[in-house]
Amino acid sequence: MIISVNWLKKFTDIDLSIDELTTLIGARLVEIEKVIDLGAKYKEVIVARVVECAPIEGTDHLNSTKIDDGGVRKDVKRDENGLIQVVCGAPNVRSGMLVAWLPAGSTVPETFGGLEPFVLSVRDLRGVMSNGMLASAKELDLFDDHTGILEIDKELEAGASFAAAYELNDYLLDIENKSLTHRPDAFGVIGFAREVAAIIGKAFTTPEWLANTHPIFAAKDGAVQSPTVTIDDPSLSARYQAIVLGGADNTRQSPLEIKTYLARVGVRPISAVVDVTNYLMMLTGQPLHAFDYDKLVAVSGGKPTIHVRAAKQDETLELLDGRIVTLSPEDIVIAAGDIAVGLAGAMGGANTVIDASTKNIIIESATFNLYKLRATQMRHGIFSEAITRFTKGQPAELTAPVLADAIRLLGEWAGAKVATGVCEATGMTIETPSITLTTERVNAILGTTFTTDTVEQTLRGVEFAVRVDDSTLVVEPPFWRGDIHINEDIIEEIGRLHGFDAIMPTLPTRDFSAVTPTGFDELRTHVRKVLARAGANEVLTYSFVHGDVLKKIGQKLEDSYQITNSISPDLQYYRQTLTPSLLGLLHPNVKQGYDTFALFEVNKSHPKSLGLTDENVPIEADMIALTVTAKKAQFGAPYYQAKKLLDYMVSSLGLTLTYTPIEHDQNSALSAPFEYRRSALVLDAAGTSIGIVGEYKKSVSKVFKLPIYSAGFEIESVKLYEAVQRLGNGYTPLSRYPSTERDICFQVKSEVTYGQIIEAATAVLKDIELETNLTPVDIYQPDDGTMKNVTIRLRLTSHSKTLTADEVNLVVEGTSQNVVAKLGATIV
Amino acid sequence: MQSIDDVRHALLAKVVTSDNPRDILKAAEIKALYSKLVTLDPSERGAYGKAVNDLKVALEAAIVAREAALDDETVQSLDVTAPWDVNTGPVGLLPTEQGTQHPLTKELEVVIDIFTRMGFAAIESRQIDDDFHMFETLNFPKDHPARDGYDTFRTEEDFIPPAHTSTMQHRILKDGKAKLEAGGQIASVSYGRVFRNEDVDATHEHTFYQCEGVFVSETATLADMLGTLQAFFEAYYGQTLKIKTQPAYFPFVEPGLEFVIEKPAALGGKTGEWLEMLGCGMIHPNVLRAAEIDPAKYQGFAWGGGIERLVMLKYGIEDLRYFESGKLAFLRKFVS
Repeated sequence: MIISVNWLKKFTDIDLSIDELTTLIGARLVEIEKVIDLGAKYKEVIVARVVECAPIEGTDHLNSTKIDDGGVRKDVKRDENGLIQVVCGAPNVRSGMLVAWLPAGSTVPETFGGLEPFVLSVRDLRGVMSNGMLASAKELDLFDDHTGILEIDKELEAGASFAAAYELNDYLLDIENKSLTHRPDAFGVIGFAREVAAIIGKAFTTPEWLANTHPIFAAKDGAVQSPTVTIDDPSLSARYQAIVLGGADNTRQSPLEIKTYLARVGVRPISAVVDVTNYLMMLTGQPLHAFDYDKLVAVSGGKPTIHVRAAKQDETLELLDGRIVTLSPEDIVIAAGDIAVGLAGAMGGANTVIDASTKNIIIESATFNLYKLRATQMRHGIFSEAITRFTKGQPAELTAPVLADAIRLLGEWAGAKVATGVCEATGMTIETPSITLTTERVNAILGTTFTTDTVEQTLRGVEFAVRVDDSTLVVEPPFWRGDIHINEDIIEEIGRLHGFDAIMPTLPTRDFSAVTPTGFDELRTHVRKVLARAGANEVLTYSFVHGDVLKKIGQKLEDSYQITNSISPDLQYYRQTLTPSLLGLLHPNVKQGYDTFALFEVNKSHPKSLGLTDENVPIEADMIALTVTAKKAQFGAPYYQAKKLLDYMVSSLGLTLTYTPIEHDQNSALSAPFEYRRSALVLDAAGTSIGIVGEYKKSVSKVFKLPIYSAGFEIESVKLYEAVQRLGNGYTPLSRYPSTERDICFQVKSEVTYGQIIEAATAVLKDIELETNLTPVDIYQPDDGTMKNVTIRLRLTSHSKTLTADEVNLVVEGTSQNVVAKLGATIV
Repeated sequence: MQSIDDVRHALLAKVVTSDNPRDILKAAEIKALYSKLVTLDPSERGAYGKAVNDLKVALEAAIVAREAALDDETVQSLDVTAPWDVNTGPVGLLPTEQGTQHPLTKELEVVIDIFTRMGFAAIESRQIDDDFHMFETLNFPKDHPARDGYDTFRTEEDFIPPAHTSTMQHRILKDGKAKLEAGGQIASVSYGRVFRNEDVDATHEHTFYQCEGVFVSETATLADMLGTLQAFFEAYYGQTLKIKTQPAYFPFVEPGLEFVIEKPAALGGKTGEWLEMLGCGMIHPNVLRAAEIDPAKYQGFAWGGGIERLVMLKYGIEDLRYFESGKLAFLRKFVS
């Protein structure tokens, strides 16, 4: 919304600089996005009188004029009478008229501040020197007008400043509408001025005509049949008023000053009749609409019967702009008889449009259900100045005074006469409450020390009625403040109008209880740092995936919550695990030239199968996923790289995990991307499965264009946390005696696993009263692939003596024999 | 000449046993079918052509399935219990100097750490929630115009990917009620991912991060709110800061404000340059009431702001889309 400071000044004194004013408005009313200095554009425009005007021979439309600028312009060539020669091609130029002259050296306002400002010069036009130009409304950047140059309609001396004459030495405030959604009053210049007055400490009284909610309408002076108005459903409109005027001259224009005010706030002047409705809307926030009375009568079958009703399902209506809309019962229509003639609050119908043949007009002044209108606005994409105001909830009290003033202005500007009495219907209205509060309460919420007198005066400043009884105030907001319901609303007014910035910041009184971050949060923070230390890069990816990704991974669509109003198919489904999101990032990064890298994410996933919490919202899964890849072939299977990173991560938490082969495809969301023959279930010490590590299915690799060397893991963070919680402190005392190490090499069938060997060895070692430790040394498999040699290192430590060779041999022998017996191994 | 059906049966049978199933697309039988096409009466060609085409589609599907099966047969099991692959050695980590933490999670840690030290507990926000927590308990009645500003996604079940971390506010208040009534205070921040249904460009994302806070006691004032937020930003930027406010409208607070700080020196700020940092206000009595906290006895304030903005200002990041892009070129700029 654009607010003109000069327009505000018509209702309140403003003696602050523009910077001071905008700072105060920003701090106490609404954010200003931009301030436009309108005056700069018109600085050099001079009011001049055309004294002589003669066609230039050999041209079909050019005139050579001599103009009088009152002698104000220096450095300009004048004739013996002091007049200045200007060539003009406009059809309406004639001697005697007052015009806006743009002297040579000035910039055409239409191009002012643009990329290519047009600076005028003295030019030779068909042999006639022209000093600048006589400007049209369009060149003055006011409004489109094809009749020619702008004719000044005020009695002014030649040489007067055009800007001063039309109050164009103005600043325009571009207001951020969003933070005024609850303030219908501020959507009119008068309401905005009331706020500004209060903010800068000036007294303000609403103009009498606007404050009078029961105006006396002019007596009727015509003989047309008065319309009847019915609000079919009282929830649709709080009040609907209409009156018929006759004799309006639709060719008449409104005064130029009014046109310049409309134009500067972004409303195109059209004709006096239309301008009146727009002018009053900008002034008061109350939109008006004009119908052609006789067309309406014809549509309704001979009688002026107006209904405000819900639209019928699939009812169609051709709007003023030629668009045909299909309506639903959520829309409100104005109907003549049974036929819709307007989409309430949004736009009139083509069937009752005002045109050159219009004799009688109906002026509608009404309010409509703002919720319905909001939906209408979205559904039909109508974002007019009128509906913007209607959807803020205009008060029903406003319709009468604005209608009364419309009648006055239509009479003045367009010669219209009242042809009927006002017809009116009321629906459901909301009472403005009276609110009781205390000064103590105001200060207790704001942290201030306002006196009761200050509170009272502040509220009176914005025309609230206040009764004071000691420090208790009974407040009655004016009818235009439908947003005021409770104590806190009043408290906000006090704080805001005084300036929240005047409140001295303090710190709350606090108790001394220490806050400790949750263990789970600390675990996740730790994991992020450890994985980064291991050379991996943390990513954040969207919580949603494309349905195709789920299908290609092999996750069931029905296990994902589906987004129904997504802007993009990429955001159709909640993801069930993090891995698919990570896989999608490998190929693009490889393409960018990254060779060996690992990506990880610590985030939530939302498989539907987890069910609901006791609050009836979906249970969320906290996951840690990592994927590692290398563009160039590496030695060994990528599985072991992923496993190494996982081992590193959990060992930093003090955990040791067990990796169990997977017998067959698991058919779960978590395992879906993984090739079960080259993946392991990850178990904690208690044997609980906490996740999966492995290489990806060939089908998955194809879809995501993964390098052959790719693997990863995905772990449930909560289970990881629980495993960490179960840990003891893990410390064993150091021994004072030296340790002994022996390497043992087992030859086993290739299908025997390393884990089985360790298990068979541990079965013996766990019963020995020594500290024992097994580590891998070598795994060798000859080319034929039937057998392999696994070398492990056994370290033995006694806490009571130095071990002898015999004692060591005995343990090694016992351990080896168990492996031989259990797994058919031979000692090499 | 074989009928289309005969060819279909024969070729499909071949695909299931073939080692090179894709070669079957070049079979002589198919060529024969095509050569017959031109000999047909034009009126028959349409139907015939379609039948041949259907055959090719069916073959293609069968070939893809067979190729996958063949691929599958070549998969060899691994000894997943082993520390490394046969005939190789110990596996190392990746170069530590290329590892990075995401700038958003890092910044969240910094923010939460300051609030923790200020005595605020931290909880992570949900990524899927319901109308009750997202709107209803926050004083957004059904059809309230302020709901429009949130552009929420919806699921089939009418769950909502939350559009603000305030979706946790009702839970925090409810959980803190007992503590409050035992003479304590509620002091919590919630942080996490939020969603808005909007098109993505350099300055708009449908997914972003917020952190918000709640403080409730018997005496909390708007002045306390200003002081608390000022203290946070002064700790965050390590300098004293001027602050100001702008009136703002959020249904869950009354009064509601935008909190603005003078641009800190660390960000190259000069006197008179201001940064809008967050929205804040005194908790609306209806919000307290929804959590069965008596607004006549207790009062509090709440605030919430975006994390991306802090990070973008800190590093001068030009494009919001980088955060969720997974581009290593971006991520590796944030060495741990």
